[in-house]
Amino acid sequence: MQGYPEGYLSERPRWTTPAGLVNLIGGPLGLVGRRLSMILLDMAAVALLWVLVTYAFLWYVHGDIGYTVIPWWLFGLFVFELAAAWNSFGVAPSQRLSGVHLVPSEGGRMTVWHRLLHFLAWHVSVLPIVGLLGRRPWHERLSGTRTKRVESGAIKPAPWYRTSVGIYAAVILVVVVVAALGVTVSMANLRRLVTDAWRAGNIWRAFFSPDTTILQTVVRDLLVTFFMAVLATAFAVVVAVPLSFLSARNLMKGPVGRSVYTALRGAMSITRSIEPIVWAIVFLVWVTARRAPFAGVLALVVHSIADLVKLYAEQLEGINPGLPEAITATGGGRLAVLRYGVLPQIINPYISFTLYRWDINIRMATVVGVVGGGGIGQRLYAYLQGHMYSQAGTAMLLIVVLVWAIDYLSSRIRAKLA
Amino acid sequence: MTEPYLRIEKLTKVYERGQVLALDALSLDVEKREFLVVIGLSGSGKSTLLRCINRLIEPTSGRIMLGSVDLTRLSPERMRKMRRRMGMIFQHFNLIRRAPVITNVLTGRLGYMPGWKAMLGMFSKEDQDRALESLERVGLREKAYVRADELSGGQQQRVGIARALMQEPEILLADEPVSALDPATSHSIMQYLEWMNREREVTVLASLHFLSLARRYGTRIVALKDGQRVFDGPPAEIDNAKFKEIYGEDAEEVEVR
Ligand SMILES: Nc1ncnc2c1ncn2[C@@H]1O[C@H](COP(=O)(O)OP(=O)(O)OP(=O)(O)O)[C@@H](O)[C@H]1O
Ligand SMILES: [Mg+2]
Repeated sequence: MQGYPEGYLSERPRWTTPAGLVNLIGGPLGLVGRRLSMILLDMAAVALLWVLVTYAFLWYVHGDIGYTVIPWWLFGLFVFELAAAWNSFGVAPSQRLSGVHLVPSEGGRMTVWHRLLHFLAWHVSVLPIVGLLGRRPWHERLSGTRTKRVESGAIKPAPWYRTSVGIYAAVILVVVVVAALGVTVSMANLRRLVTDAWRAGNIWRAFFSPDTTILQTVVRDLLVTFFMAVLATAFAVVVAVPLSFLSARNLMKGPVGRSVYTALRGAMSITRSIEPIVWAIVFLVWVTARRAPFAGVLALVVHSIADLVKLYAEQLEGINPGLPEAITATGGGRLAVLRYGVLPQIINPYISFTLYRWDINIRMATVVGVVGGGGIGQRLYAYLQGHMYSQAGTAMLLIVVLVWAIDYLSSRIRAKLA
Repeated sequence: MTEPYLRIEKLTKVYERGQVLALDALSLDVEKREFLVVIGLSGSGKSTLLRCINRLIEPTSGRIMLGSVDLTRLSPERMRKMRRRMGMIFQHFNLIRRAPVITNVLTGRLGYMPGWKAMLGMFSKEDQDRALESLERVGLREKAYVRADELSGGQQQRVGIARALMQEPEILLADEPVSALDPATSHSIMQYLEWMNREREVTVLASLHFLSLARRYGTRIVALKDGQRVFDGPPAEIDNAKFKEIYGEDAEEVEVR
């Protein structure tokens, strides 16, 4: 391209690339610092794996979360050796991050010999640190290798499970699953699941012999639950709609907009990650247990807001920009663009999401009730506590009917809107 | 010496993302009532040029003088007022798909209304009559209360034209107005543009992909390549050699009849 200011093409800020980011971190320490921080990164990855493995092992042996029992120097040595091996025989995370791999300095293919030498030389080069000085670190010189930038588009990428990151991820996954099995399931529990089935059988029988005398109470509580969900959804919508506009990436431009966006999205995802039942406990303590349904509603409101803001904002981010552009082109102002460029594209999805959330809130209101948040959930819990299984069965039956009806209704309406 | 109607001076646009130089110090004078057709390969900067004129895209540098006003320096509010004089039609029509045709046409008046009235959709009686008139003009009077997405592509583009007519524009920017349409429909749409140009004295700037359409309707053709002007003149002047220069050695001319 001619007449093009040179800087536009070449002077892309360095820190925008992963390699540049590593440079920035190690920058003040210079070359040694940079290489050292790479090696430390690999060692951290190894250490993480080691800690996970030992935890899982200790769960099995002692049935209890323990601490690494080996001396720290042994731990250090292990981590160091494994990082060296990873760098020599595979592609370590640091190498992947800076987009390089190991090649022989005089060309040709890498052999096992090269790699072994690289591994051994690592000890005399990295341990005293001085080996990291110079244009090529010692371990590369001694083994006749060098690191080369991989042109990411040029070579066929290995399937993920063949890369060392893939293997690492797989090992972590196996360790975590094994450990999880170890802490949650015991042989005794498994046996009881089969041998004590009759005990549950009694409960099941009671469930299916409904007690019609309590119908009136249960229906009243069911209505309370229903209204809790309606109220919570309505409150949540009023707050979530304006917030969603502040949480849409494509609407929040510039430094101020971007920080509002980041802060809001962050706050919402934290709020959403706390379950409504936990919120219910928080609000029960806060507003006192006497007005229980109110606490339940507050819990649902908070969680619904966080959920709806995310759903709404994602919808906003996905709108076709052509329509707002067309309205802008007619000379319409901000409000006009909002009303005729954005609103027509989001109104139906917003209603749809609201119905969907209402549907969830009906179920959540029941769950929230169990901890004392009022409504049918609280009633059900009381029945179960008092071993009144046939009354509990009646309540559950009605809950199922309500949930099913709302689910059906909301999905029918949503299908119409789509 | 008289000032040209629309003067584009050293207009440059660099897209930050991807670092693309889309317009490279492009200068262009447009006279009133011209039907200027912009041609060029995909990515040559046609859309960028048209969108810079009504500042749907902010130019990186350069000036756009409409009379004695520099559009690139206007405040957002003054630019908004200025946009009322510039209609725009789009390749993909950009209509409110779920709204009736008449509502789409009425949006052409939004620039003339205060924000709160626009928000509440309070269009005046005159505007509503005018909308029906515009629809009459493009032959869609009987479709006024049909949902926009129930119309064919050609009919939707006519709604786009009716929307632009509502602005009573002096300039019409048409970015590939017929690229999504079949040849016969293309001609009918181009004839509406020609009518606006001749009868309503609207200066038209249209980007087109077919040279035959450009020759048939343009009073002047400008060809872009990599954001620079490689041809500028009356349609008759584009011969085979020029054509190869604009579209590359291997190109063959395709006719749209
Ligand atoms: N939003 C954008 N961000 C980054 N680059 C862009 C953007 N829009 C266009 N470009 C680039 O700018 C150049 C000119 O694009 P433009 O859309 O103006 O071309 P065009 O002549 O209209 O092409 P077409 O005939 O395909 O519509 C292209 O190289 C394109 O990739
Ligand atoms: Mg284009």
